[in-house]
Amino acid sequence: MRKVGAKLILTLLCLVLLRASALAGEVCLSVAASLKDVINELSDSFARQNVGIKFLKNYGGSGALARQIENGAPADIFISANLEWMDYLQNKRLMDSASIGIFTYNTLVFVGAADKKVGSMRDLPKLEKIAIGSPKSVPAGQYALEALKKAGIDKQLEKKLVMAKDVRECLMYAERAEVDGAFVYKTDAIQAKQAKILFVVPEDLYPQVTYPMGLTLTGAQNKDAEAFYKHLQGEDARAVLEKYGFPRK
Amino acid sequence: MEIRIAAKKRFENFTLAADFRIAGKQIGIFGESGSGKSALVGLLAGFHQPDHGEIFLDGECLFSTTRKINIPAERRRIAIVFQQPNLFPHLSVKSNLLYGFKRCAEKNRFITLADLVAVLRLENLLRRGVNNLSGGEKQRVALGRAVLANPRLLLMDEPLSALDDGLRFQIIPYLKSVSEQFRIPYMFISHSLVEMRLLVDQVLVLSNGSIVEQTTPDHLARSRMEQSRVGYINLLRLAAPRRVDGLFAYRWGEGELLISAGSDEPEALFELSSRDIILFKRHPEAISARNLFRGIVVNTLPAGNRTGVELACGGQKLVAEVAGQAVKELEISEGSELYLAIKASAFRRLG
Amino acid sequence: MNPSDYDAILLSAKVAIAATFFSLPIGFAVAYMMTYLKFRGKVLFEVIITLPLTLPPVVIGYFLLLLLGRRGWLGPLLESIGIRLIFTWKAAVIASAVVGFPLLVRSIRIGMESIDPHLIQASKTLGAPWYDTLFTVILPLSFRSIVAGSSLMFARSLGEFGATIIVAGNIPGVTQTIPLAIYEYVSSPTSETMAVSLCIVSIIMALSILFFHESLGMQLTKRR
Repeated sequence: MRKVGAKLILTLLCLVLLRASALAGEVCLSVAASLKDVINELSDSFARQNVGIKFLKNYGGSGALARQIENGAPADIFISANLEWMDYLQNKRLMDSASIGIFTYNTLVFVGAADKKVGSMRDLPKLEKIAIGSPKSVPAGQYALEALKKAGIDKQLEKKLVMAKDVRECLMYAERAEVDGAFVYKTDAIQAKQAKILFVVPEDLYPQVTYPMGLTLTGAQNKDAEAFYKHLQGEDARAVLEKYGFPRK
Repeated sequence: MEIRIAAKKRFENFTLAADFRIAGKQIGIFGESGSGKSALVGLLAGFHQPDHGEIFLDGECLFSTTRKINIPAERRRIAIVFQQPNLFPHLSVKSNLLYGFKRCAEKNRFITLADLVAVLRLENLLRRGVNNLSGGEKQRVALGRAVLANPRLLLMDEPLSALDDGLRFQIIPYLKSVSEQFRIPYMFISHSLVEMRLLVDQVLVLSNGSIVEQTTPDHLARSRMEQSRVGYINLLRLAAPRRVDGLFAYRWGEGELLISAGSDEPEALFELSSRDIILFKRHPEAISARNLFRGIVVNTLPAGNRTGVELACGGQKLVAEVAGQAVKELEISEGSELYLAIKASAFRRLG
Repeated sequence: MNPSDYDAILLSAKVAIAATFFSLPIGFAVAYMMTYLKFRGKVLFEVIITLPLTLPPVVIGYFLLLLLGRRGWLGPLLESIGIRLIFTWKAAVIASAVVGFPLLVRSIRIGMESIDPHLIQASKTLGAPWYDTLFTVILPLSFRSIVAGSSLMFARSLGEFGATIIVAGNIPGVTQTIPLAIYEYVSSPTSETMAVSLCIVSIIMALSILFFHESLGMQLTKRR
């Protein structure tokens, strides 16, 4: 009886441990929320062409993703929506520095219901509620807050900012019309059904939205991850990016 | 007070079918446990509604299925004294007493707190909280609370059953005086025949959910003599005791009754079982019993193979119980003269 | 601790107090109905009241959103009277109230059920209609359980997160209660340590309320 019990526990333990580490053919992706559609399409087509590869995808605010990776969450490839979080992981010696490159860029826009009479940053203090990603961990929110500060209206909007956990949640709040408007990326706004782009945030108000990408140390050991990483730098990836409104460059 | 009920209600394990009409000031309902007493109280008070039927009190309809009348309990003006005092623990004695009074229409407030406190002697309890009172004190307060609500009927559902003997017979005089002083009729429900005899003048006997007899308490006691384990209980109110040789001597007609369990109180109530009275055809020479009297037979009550013999003695009536044979042997008949012997220790003091 | 932390603490207290305060009369009424009234569908009613206890708070939050959101079932009606609930302090109060309600009702019910029914009968025969009995007998005798239920609900409100974040959102200074503030800190690698002070405050608040609740319970048993 005891022997059976011990064998059972051992088997369970093995299963658990094996699961914890990426099985052969598994690639773990931690990607900024705004790239969700792009990466979904790229990984799905890659998986179809390379039978045996399975993708575990984790989308969210780049800061939250960085924290998860730092705390041991499995990740082979990390794509952040700003340079800060990539630098952060580099400083923690969790990234394969040689692999780091730029995936793509984006622009910040303000979306809302079509009937809102908002044409520029100066109109924002008129509104009741504005959604932005939490600046503590969401790059879109960090960019937006920079823009607000540079435009000199951040103090006026102090109690009107609804914090979202990533840029997609921002968009959702705007779609539901629970807020008057939201700061999202142009690429997210294209996906919107109810909310419309009310204005593009002037580029001089915030640093350029840059998406650094890189292999983690564990990713660098993963043949399949390396293969996919190469794919992300290829022509197919460029085409998909363009399809979803990202600049080709 | 006049009550008319013709109602039926089905409960889980029995059916109450009450059909009676009775008028009086002090009425009793007598029944063993399980006979339906509490169910009847529930119907009268308004806690339960009969399945069908009618209830009238002093000519006013309290409930009628045909006329679709159902006066809620709080408007029937029937106050209840329960077996447990059920005093409100969060209120003082005074607030408890005044609870019903405050909710009584001004035009109906005949009895005041001052009157009540005097009759029930509650002066030193007024300021106290209800949680530290003794059982008897609590029941007196419960009685006071019910009376002070100025009800038109006081319903007492085994109010003395939870008290010990000494206490019980202390409270009985309060019940009577309250009813008399304040002129509130009451309905007293109990399984104690002695309580019935002391408190009411008419009894309804409840058995298995219906009224089977309407009689006087004394009559009831006599008819139960046969089944009773103690025969017929003579209740004697005696006065003017003096101490004699370690015994108490109470006035008894021209002579004195010697009782061991007496007290120095000017008046006392005693119990004497019919089976503790020995009858003699002729004056016996010398006996050990301290009490020996002459009596005249007033009545004989056959009770199976025993017979009850009612005698006039000492200005009161006593019932003795003898074997059926003895009646013939002693030639007992109405008008016969007999001698009675009773031991001083046969009397039990009630209060 | 920085100013926004103090905001969060104040807000949490405000929301918890408001939620408890407004739930009290309703909770008392519901407990009364469950204890003393018989009506059809009572079992279903009880199930619905207890439901928030077993549902994940996010589900409750989502349901409230469906109900009260701009595009929700009651949304258009509320907007016509000029009432906006989602992403306001009021929504946080509603979320806490709904989530804590079963705790309040349960506690009061236990108190009411322990009242000797004979006392209520006595009260009736002494001339008190049901509302009189309610205020002069039932309320005073269930008072302790009302306080106990309130403190339990208050503590639950302080910790409410799932429903709150969905229906009130994370708006610093407006709806960012302590749990939301901690969540935001903990989501970001650089501010994780700042969560500690708020956590400590949260624990102290919870401990004090629980101590109060327990000592109340002890008093109750001592009385008996």
